[in-house]
Amino acid sequence: MAHNYIVTAQKPTAVNACVTGNFTSETDLNLVIAKNSRLEIFLVTPEGLKPIKEVGIYGKIAVLKLFRPADEKKDLIFILTQAYQAMILECKYNKEREDFEIITKACGNVSDKVGKPAETGILAVIDPKARVIGMRLYEGLFKIIPLEKDSNELKAYSLRMEDVNVQDVEFLYGCASPTLIVIHQDLNGRHIKSHEISLREKEFVKMSWKQENVETEATMLIPVPTPLGGAIVIGQESIVYHDGSNYVASAPPIIKQSTITCYARVDRKGYRYLLGNMSGNLFMLFLEADTNSQGNLYVKDLKVELLGEISIPECITYLDNGVLFIGSRHGDSQLVRLNTVPDENGAYVVVMDTYTNLGPILDMCVVDLERQGQGQIITCSGSFKDGTLRIIRNGIGIQEHACIDLPGIKGMWALQVGIDDSKYDNTLVLSFVGHTRILTLTGEEVEETEIEGFLSDQQTFYCANVNYGQIIQVTPSTARVIKCDSKSMVAEWSPPEGRRIGVVACNNEQLVCASGTEIYYIEIQDGKLEQKSTVQLEHEIACLDISPLDEGATRSDIVAVGLWTDISVCLLKLPSLEKFYTEKLGGEIIPRSILVAQFEGINYLLCALGDGSMFYFVYDNESGVLTDQKKVTLGTQPTILKTFSSLSTRNVFACSDRPTVIYSSNHKLVFSNVNLKEVNHMCSLNAEAYPDSLALATKNSVILGTIDEIQKLHIRTVQLGESPRRIAHQEASNSFGVISVRTDVQKSEGLLPTRPSASTQTQNITTSSTITTLAQRPGVCTQVEFGQEVEVNNLLIMDQNTFEVLHAHQFMQTEFAMSLMSAKLGDDPNTYYIVGTAIVNPEEPDPKTGRIIVFHYADGKLHQICEKEIKGACYSLVEFNGKVLASINTTVRLYEWTSEKDLRLECSHFNNVLALYLKTKGDFILVGDLMRSITLLQYKQMEGSFEEIARDYEPNWMTAIEILDDDNFLGAENSCNLFVGQKDSAATTDEERQQMPEVAQFHLGDMINVFRHGSLAMQNVGERTTPTTGCVLYGTVSGAIGLVTQIPQDFYEFLSFLEKRLKETIKSVGKIDHTSWRSFRTDQKVEPCEGFIDGDLVESFLDLSRDKMRECVAGLQIDVNGVKEEATVDNVIKIVEDLTRMH
Amino acid sequence: KCPDPRPKSIAGMCVNVAARFFKRHQGFNSTKLDRRFVHTNFNVARTLRVPDVDLYFTCCDFFTPEGNKIVVGTHNGELRVLNVNDSNEEFSASVSDSYINNIKCSRDSQFVLTSAWQTPMSVLWSVENKQFISKLQFNDEEYVEFSNIKQDKVLGTKAETATIYDINTGQVIRTFKPVTFNQYNKNRATFCPTDELVLSDGVLWDVRTGENIHKFDKLNNTLSGVFHSNGLEVISNTEVWDLRTFHLLRTIPTLDQCYLKFSSQNVIYAFMVQNESLDDDHVYDSSFKVIDSYDYSSISTTDVKKSIYDLTVNSSGCQIAICENQGGYESVSESVIRVYTVGRKRDEFEGEIEEEEEMGSDE
Repeated sequence: MAHNYIVTAQKPTAVNACVTGNFTSETDLNLVIAKNSRLEIFLVTPEGLKPIKEVGIYGKIAVLKLFRPADEKKDLIFILTQAYQAMILECKYNKEREDFEIITKACGNVSDKVGKPAETGILAVIDPKARVIGMRLYEGLFKIIPLEKDSNELKAYSLRMEDVNVQDVEFLYGCASPTLIVIHQDLNGRHIKSHEISLREKEFVKMSWKQENVETEATMLIPVPTPLGGAIVIGQESIVYHDGSNYVASAPPIIKQSTITCYARVDRKGYRYLLGNMSGNLFMLFLEADTNSQGNLYVKDLKVELLGEISIPECITYLDNGVLFIGSRHGDSQLVRLNTVPDENGAYVVVMDTYTNLGPILDMCVVDLERQGQGQIITCSGSFKDGTLRIIRNGIGIQEHACIDLPGIKGMWALQVGIDDSKYDNTLVLSFVGHTRILTLTGEEVEETEIEGFLSDQQTFYCANVNYGQIIQVTPSTARVIKCDSKSMVAEWSPPEGRRIGVVACNNEQLVCASGTEIYYIEIQDGKLEQKSTVQLEHEIACLDISPLDEGATRSDIVAVGLWTDISVCLLKLPSLEKFYTEKLGGEIIPRSILVAQFEGINYLLCALGDGSMFYFVYDNESGVLTDQKKVTLGTQPTILKTFSSLSTRNVFACSDRPTVIYSSNHKLVFSNVNLKEVNHMCSLNAEAYPDSLALATKNSVILGTIDEIQKLHIRTVQLGESPRRIAHQEASNSFGVISVRTDVQKSEGLLPTRPSASTQTQNITTSSTITTLAQRPGVCTQVEFGQEVEVNNLLIMDQNTFEVLHAHQFMQTEFAMSLMSAKLGDDPNTYYIVGTAIVNPEEPDPKTGRIIVFHYADGKLHQICEKEIKGACYSLVEFNGKVLASINTTVRLYEWTSEKDLRLECSHFNNVLALYLKTKGDFILVGDLMRSITLLQYKQMEGSFEEIARDYEPNWMTAIEILDDDNFLGAENSCNLFVGQKDSAATTDEERQQMPEVAQFHLGDMINVFRHGSLAMQNVGERTTPTTGCVLYGTVSGAIGLVTQIPQDFYEFLSFLEKRLKETIKSVGKIDHTSWRSFRTDQKVEPCEGFIDGDLVESFLDLSRDKMRECVAGLQIDVNGVKEEATVDNVIKIVEDLTRMH
Repeated sequence: KCPDPRPKSIAGMCVNVAARFFKRHQGFNSTKLDRRFVHTNFNVARTLRVPDVDLYFTCCDFFTPEGNKIVVGTHNGELRVLNVNDSNEEFSASVSDSYINNIKCSRDSQFVLTSAWQTPMSVLWSVENKQFISKLQFNDEEYVEFSNIKQDKVLGTKAETATIYDINTGQVIRTFKPVTFNQYNKNRATFCPTDELVLSDGVLWDVRTGENIHKFDKLNNTLSGVFHSNGLEVISNTEVWDLRTFHLLRTIPTLDQCYLKFSSQNVIYAFMVQNESLDDDHVYDSSFKVIDSYDYSSISTTDVKKSIYDLTVNSSGCQIAICENQGGYESVSESVIRVYTVGRKRDEFEGEIEEEEEMGSDE
């Protein structure tokens, strides 16, 4: 038995379906998007899309449709999952909970026990009059669900459909009985046919009309609303309109270059349609209608016009007022507007907004470039022209807008000086050792200035706009208020006996200063600083805070104090400065910064220490007590805490060598890294040219920038304009190697790139010679016809920081680069990029030749060091004890690096259908096969050979593999399942030892393309109670990132119990059973999930109400210091919170 | 009719597996092409032989679903359980005095059905402690098989009559005897995938009511037909009939006179039926065909260069076992059971070793 915890860190981003309608109310216009197993509902507003609700579905959404039942004013959603669960959903506003609710109106399982899932995928359509839902799920059958009012069970009937290879189905408009139109294919070609359905007899009753031999590549049907009726058939080169009697065909040359994949109807009457193709072109299709001699409307002509370029669309929906949503699977989704007049490039399309999509993630690597102990992921994302690299890190991005070189800053504050009627800051006060400088911001210009009454020959401890139009400045010797309008000092306060101020805290109305062990409390009045009280504490004061707690409050009734010597925190009452609470922190590290803050209605006290760690407490202002002490490690240097506002929420910025933003989500504090190396000081800045910004002081400069929307994962995009497939990081040359593919077209002057992209936009381009012996072989250089597209493979060398393409090496025509690694070989001190290729003859089932090429990138140049001809495609490359381990067609081969810098075959392993994936650990090699699951090999050093240790005999069509530890091996296969195979070294018979039984199984519902060891979370942050071992990150086709970690058995059992309770407590949308959703599912078998805890379910515990939590926790046992105890809600919250910190 | 569009890209979703490798990872469906690729190659994983020279194998079936044990029948009525991994005989029994022509193992390895030429012609054996214990005898049934969903029934064939027995009580549940028969030479009554229908002698029966539903046209003399695993079609020799409309859907000439075995990997294995009336030096067909169970397109033909007496597929579809005999029907000179790994290429191993040796000697 294996015990694993699997959880999503980044939800799927690829859009597979979208619809528009009135879903949340009769008058709301909604956009509903399906992203794999998630449904997102938006409100369409003049300001853009407003998210309303996000729902997880226990199933991969295969079909999403919106429909309106007769006599209804609102639309309903129909969803069909890949596991044949059908449901009809309604959205209602719940006034009590002040939230939208998704109500399952009806649901049911529409699967058959016997039947072959159709190879052209699941198709489902709804009759325009909402009388019936039609589904093509299995080959040879068509299912219908009659839509009856008030039925809450969806019951499907199967009709025999003799048409095979059905490409598309639609219901026609304006038919007395529901009438289906079908594109099907037989030996002679593709045909369209209409079938009328009798709902009473639940049969196809007659065929109304048909058209044989439409275009052989016809893939899509568009039903045309009445009065026109009929349907449009979209092919590769032609578009046909047919209504049974009238037939109009058109072959617009502009549609030829790529396959049209989706459409959206623009107007209700159905005269205009938007079409999108695989190249990301957006077209408008017009039906030109006329009236014939009988006075009947008929379609006279079809016209197609190119509107412009968009992301490669998967689905398009027309929202309103010329605005469309483009859902994409291969690139970012977009909100675009159509203009009536073209721009200078002739495009009618303007992109209004884009929505990040990481899918499909083809490869990724985990690096820690800044050596912060935190990994970032670089993915090969997107396809074709929408190919990108994405840099993903757990943290928040700062967008830098300006940078001023100024070393040695000790403090920084933004002020409004002399501009009463403006809400903007125009001044920045910078404090240095022994002096203070003032900068004025005029537009984007920054100028040094002086303010009368300001002490500029001293270091400033604090400076701010305060009540009565005054500015306060606190220096070591004095606190002074300056009138804004008169620019003159109106009051001054100094500590008695010539003491020097050591620490300061201030708000709009109050000031506290500390000098040694003394604290002085001063109120800021109009033209006056009035000392109200003073107190002496037993130890020297290290830090102070009097931030007002409640929202809108301008003064505080407590002072938080951090003390030297006994390392404690105490709370004093105002105005008396009477101490009412003390909390010892323990240890020997002095508190450096203290802060009280309210997040989501909860008061916290944060206290950062000199070693970069931070304590935090919940402060109850009724009882005046600090509770729930927790500790986290934010950095390694003394940390300064500052509050700031971002998008109207209050957050805390922890300035240190690992700057962190602290915010609250679901009533818990979240610590998120910032993409800056170090920040010493910071302040909010809301200047006219830099609205809603932050000023951040680093060692040598001040950065003015804006902070990204606060989210856990921060994603940066590097556009490539071509398809990246493999990535490797090379520390020695500070670079990334990327295998990428662009499309060239054969023109009269030769092969030309279709668009500028990463591989064409660098100065340094080299090409693999086509005069080698290999290139002379038949099939290597095939004749390309005019207008045909050819994939051109490149190795790109990119700068690891700027992602600039430093070099592009182009491989031979018909040579596909399949694999890439960076490695040191043998005793050779150099680090090489090694590429495995295949020479592809499209007529042959598999490549017969290929190359392993060793490149060295140094001094800005890429040199080919060695080239080894191989007998097939090199699907995978791994460095193995200083040697090159390669999987080539059916074999796994080990090559030595000789002193002559040549690759010499040492040994091979056969016994695979296709060895596609390799991973290694020590002497062990894990092989992932096309069909035959995973095999474990051991390299025998003495014999110089491979030995097959164990094999999983289940047929699994692999997509990614990983070694978890010496005994457990993780595999992902193409039906979106995961499994763990376990080696049993203790087995008694050879036969048992040779088996690798699947000890854990899980249905993810998404296809995993890559596994990498690594972590997104900061290492050693805080005290972790969850005993996890190892962390494997995965990337999927739909752009999700997640992790798998191993847990001990007792913890597994605890979580498994919690999972069981959550399954009972959480009502699933569509009433799908969680157990069936996570069951290992292929066309051949369904087996229950085991050995995996569904972290997404477990972590949804935190979203439950307290009552529901209590319900789940009842009877749950936890282990406290070896003793079993009844778990409390808070115990479980803490455990689950700790689990969430892994991502 | 317009001219067909030209392929746009040289290496789109093409037959070359390397060219579509990344397409699969981008989310494009390549299962059909992958299935074709895999079912083109078969490599011998094991060759199981008999120690005694004058004994030969006549039929075989995987004893365990994972395929590590095989039950074989011999010409003199023996049943042997062979271990595929070490080629050893695990246990055996003499179950008849005659040639065993059919073996069917239950999925739980608890029961084995055999058919032979002498009475009792068919027997249900229960396997306990490495022994075959006769559980039920079907004296006159020439061919027997289990029901599909729950293997608690046995369907027996005697000429044109089919009978369903309860496996536990041995009682006859139902008998199907056509009024007018087709009299196929090799009638083998068979259950449909859901066990609701039985096809026997070209006649379709409703199991529940016992009614005769349809009689398919007789277009050959040998094979009555089998149900397609999709539950929608009947394949009678070369004809594919629709189970609901009884229309002739298509004709697949390559299936002429072939027994069919369905693989869970969505392909059908076809091999030629043995004709008992063959004379002594007749050489049987030595090749088997693989066709796509979705569209009946031919995937591959593999010549094993021996006479194929029987072919069986393991539950995962990853291995097949073939009973291969050399020589004529009455003069079998060499008899083996060969277990093939589906998808592995043939003979590359030997070729490689030579090559490696050559390379080694070069240096």
